[in-house]
Amino acid sequence: MKFKINRDHFANGLQLVTSVVGARKTMQILQNVLIEASEGKVSLITTNLDLGVRCSVKADVSEPGSITLPVRELGSIVRQLAGMEVSVECPEGNRATISTRGSLFHIMGIDSKEFPPLPALDNLSQHDLSRDELTQMLRNVSYAQSVNEERYMLRGVYFSFAEGKLTMVATDGRRLAVTERALQIQEGSDGDFILPANTVSELEKLPSLGDTVKVSFNERQVAFEMRIPDDPNATDDEQSITGKGFVDSIYLVSKVVEGRYPNYRQVIPTETFEQSEVERELLQECILRAALVSDEKVSFSIKPGELEITGQSSLGDAKETMAIEYKGPEVTVSFNPIFFCDPLKALSKDKVTLEFRDEISPGIFRTGAGKQDDPITFLCVIMPIRSD
Amino acid sequence: MSSIRLLPDRVANQIAAGEVVERPAAVAKELIENSLDAGASRIEIEYRNGGKSYLRVEDDGHGMTADEALLSLERHATSKIREADDLQRITSFGFRGEALPSIASVSRFVMRTRVRGAEGGTEIFVNGGKMIHQKDCGMPEGTSIEVARLFNSVPARRKFLRTDATETAHLCRWARLYAMAHPETAFTLLENGRTIFRSPTCVDLRERLREIFGSGFAEGLIEIESESDDLSLSGLIGKPGVGRSTRQEMIFMVNNRPVDSKALSFALIEAYHTYVPKGRFPPAFLFLRMNPAAVDVNAHPTKREVRFREEGKLRAFVIRSVNDRLREVAANAGFSEAHTPVTSSSTDGSTPAPGFAVPQIDPSLLPNVGGADSKTGGAGEPTGQSFEIPVPEYSLNDEAPSTPSSDGPEGAAGDRDDLTSSWRFLAKLSGDLALFRTTDGLVLMHCRAAVERIRFEDTEEAFAEEASRDGQRLLLPIPLELDSFGSEVLQSHLPSLEKLGFSVEEFGRNFHRIEAAPSWLEPGDAELFLRDLIASAKERGGVAGKALSKDEFIRMLASRESLTGGGFEESEIISLANRLLRCRNPLTCPQGRPTYLEYGHREWENRFGRRF
Repeated sequence: MKFKINRDHFANGLQLVTSVVGARKTMQILQNVLIEASEGKVSLITTNLDLGVRCSVKADVSEPGSITLPVRELGSIVRQLAGMEVSVECPEGNRATISTRGSLFHIMGIDSKEFPPLPALDNLSQHDLSRDELTQMLRNVSYAQSVNEERYMLRGVYFSFAEGKLTMVATDGRRLAVTERALQIQEGSDGDFILPANTVSELEKLPSLGDTVKVSFNERQVAFEMRIPDDPNATDDEQSITGKGFVDSIYLVSKVVEGRYPNYRQVIPTETFEQSEVERELLQECILRAALVSDEKVSFSIKPGELEITGQSSLGDAKETMAIEYKGPEVTVSFNPIFFCDPLKALSKDKVTLEFRDEISPGIFRTGAGKQDDPITFLCVIMPIRSD
Repeated sequence: MSSIRLLPDRVANQIAAGEVVERPAAVAKELIENSLDAGASRIEIEYRNGGKSYLRVEDDGHGMTADEALLSLERHATSKIREADDLQRITSFGFRGEALPSIASVSRFVMRTRVRGAEGGTEIFVNGGKMIHQKDCGMPEGTSIEVARLFNSVPARRKFLRTDATETAHLCRWARLYAMAHPETAFTLLENGRTIFRSPTCVDLRERLREIFGSGFAEGLIEIESESDDLSLSGLIGKPGVGRSTRQEMIFMVNNRPVDSKALSFALIEAYHTYVPKGRFPPAFLFLRMNPAAVDVNAHPTKREVRFREEGKLRAFVIRSVNDRLREVAANAGFSEAHTPVTSSSTDGSTPAPGFAVPQIDPSLLPNVGGADSKTGGAGEPTGQSFEIPVPEYSLNDEAPSTPSSDGPEGAAGDRDDLTSSWRFLAKLSGDLALFRTTDGLVLMHCRAAVERIRFEDTEEAFAEEASRDGQRLLLPIPLELDSFGSEVLQSHLPSLEKLGFSVEEFGRNFHRIEAAPSWLEPGDAELFLRDLIASAKERGGVAGKALSKDEFIRMLASRESLTGGGFEESEIISLANRLLRCRNPLTCPQGRPTYLEYGHREWENRFGRRF
């Protein structure tokens, strides 16, 4: 195996695949990255057996071949090299030579045959999604995932492809976030799965490249493939800047969380209350300020024309008032401010719609009407804090 | 088919021996009890090879006549009760009339006894249950019983005996127990003629304890004395913060009879809640006195276990008494504890027996104290005027002395301000330790532990004021299925749980749903929390979980705000010490570990082997 590669491209690729590698050093081979050199590109693959990732980086390959090398160490070396052009060579055995102007490294690796292959998915349902929408939808809900070991089914984001729409749900038992988007679903390709929290965060970290993501899944695994567009008109330099050296596609394959996701629909109140529309950022600021005094509980008093947010603790109290459009009855209800700020932070819409009913009913807020120009809808159900 | 027949006495005795005489220590126990029942003022115990090959118990009690002595070897022959009703008011140790014949049936048994005022004594020799001879002999008044070659007639039981060292340990333990229970009786324990301990008649338990366990041990303990209706409690208990890794030193005497009692041991542990770290056990020598009718000692052949007629009341009494005493001690903390001055302690009693650790100060702490000078750059010996230098800048009385803690006894709080000024800040040591000088020694304070304690009490107060906590309602109620006892415990705790922020709805027989949980608790942990609570309430008899859970909760709140590192400034440390000493229990952090350690001058004297 022998190839020449741009230092930054190589480092970018290694960085992308490193985060998958676990800190537990139970199997040495899992600490390594599989490097496969083929015509014009080098593929980098890592896995922790639950989650695997593959990306390809543009390279000048003079001799195809493969080897595995310790990924963290290799990443540090490549990042700190002085020269821009790095040559990697693996003449015989499991030793790789990495050299650039003035630097020469010999790194011991493990035979690529020992590397566990990424699982091949069969019996798939496939869907093409817009990358921007996928990341926005994930952001809309991912903060609500449970972090509790006990309820493993809640440690992930629930995906459902059914009834002509894609739904993503996350909940930790106290609040629920649901985001939906209309999607044409071929017959027989509907289905659902729970994407583990780790995979969610990997997916959120992927670089913003390409327009579409292909999601394929069966009952055990799910794969996300992001195709990197070749721009035939772009010069090499331009391509390098926009694409960070990535070519072909970035592929992420993960196990799904086994188990049944709880029936989240039953906790969404069916009847609608009196609604009020508020500025998202303004609301967020008010809540954050009130929470400076009381970070566990803030009270919302909604009355015609006005929303009052109060925080109270042994430190003192705070009152924030904002003008709103509201015609319904007066209601006061308390919530954990974090449960409100998380979604407000994640959303990108300017306005959100609030619904409060009484002090023991959940608070709801939503955005988006699912119209043509604004296809993503969002709904958040937050359970109140009751003090009596 | 074999026919049913009545067993000969000898076999019956050997069977009974299996229950009563399980090991040499049990023999010693029975014989010591007999001696005590006989009103002995002096008891001597000698053994060889852990008592397996030889054991002798000699007393100066009232003795027996020749006929009585013979009769005593018959089964169910006893002077201690006459009819079954006597069991209700038993004050003697024995009453079954089983011990002597049982022991005699499995050993080479020699009994010599002389009644007070009689001309001479009687000697009876029994081997493996067979009478060898009875003759007159000359001897002092009292009774002496020799048991040699224990289990010689039942080789199977011999095999179950442990090593000499183990048997010795058991024997010593029992001898010590009885010696402690009866300070008025002189005890001597000999191994092969060598003295293990010798304790003449003592005035009180503390003195006896010092004789047996050494003076260091006795100093870690405080007196307790309490009475209510027909119950009384006295003895010595460990100071707050003093904990052992085993229950070995939790000793209970009910009407002077050493007993194992789960109820009592739980009561004690509970009383020490937050005074001793979780999983550690306080040392205690508790003497309970109650109407003999209120306790059934006839529950177990060796009478090791007893049944209490009113266990709940007893438990509550023990918890309250110990707790009050601990609180009192904690409130007076910082005063040099009123140790009874050590008269030059006898050294022969200080050999620790296996299984009894005499507490010692971690020697590694001492160099730290010496090293303080070099760290602070201060010159001079750790005595003398140089200490006064850093003090005046930071007035220790800068806080108004008018705010004694709410619960603390008024008088003590007033005195405590004087006390505060008696702590002079000397130096800041590494590891968040601060060194103070007090009127009679040095104090090492752990600043973080102090902060935790102060915060704990603050939170506790805040909690007491607040009517109820907030409950975060759950989106997906958590099902909780319990057995019927668990449901009952849960139901009885519901009001206090609701105060914590829980809301639990009954959802059918023994089936509940958690609808809301305190906001600091992860919903997934709510079920575990409740199950733990129920389990601990069950273990403690279904009553005490209430206070426990609240404490637990407060502790969680208090420890939630993690302390940012960076260490403490001098002025901070001084105000910390001030506030700590105002706490209701300044001695331990909420987890029960000590907040400060005090090394008195006596300690230095002991270590240097000189008198200052």
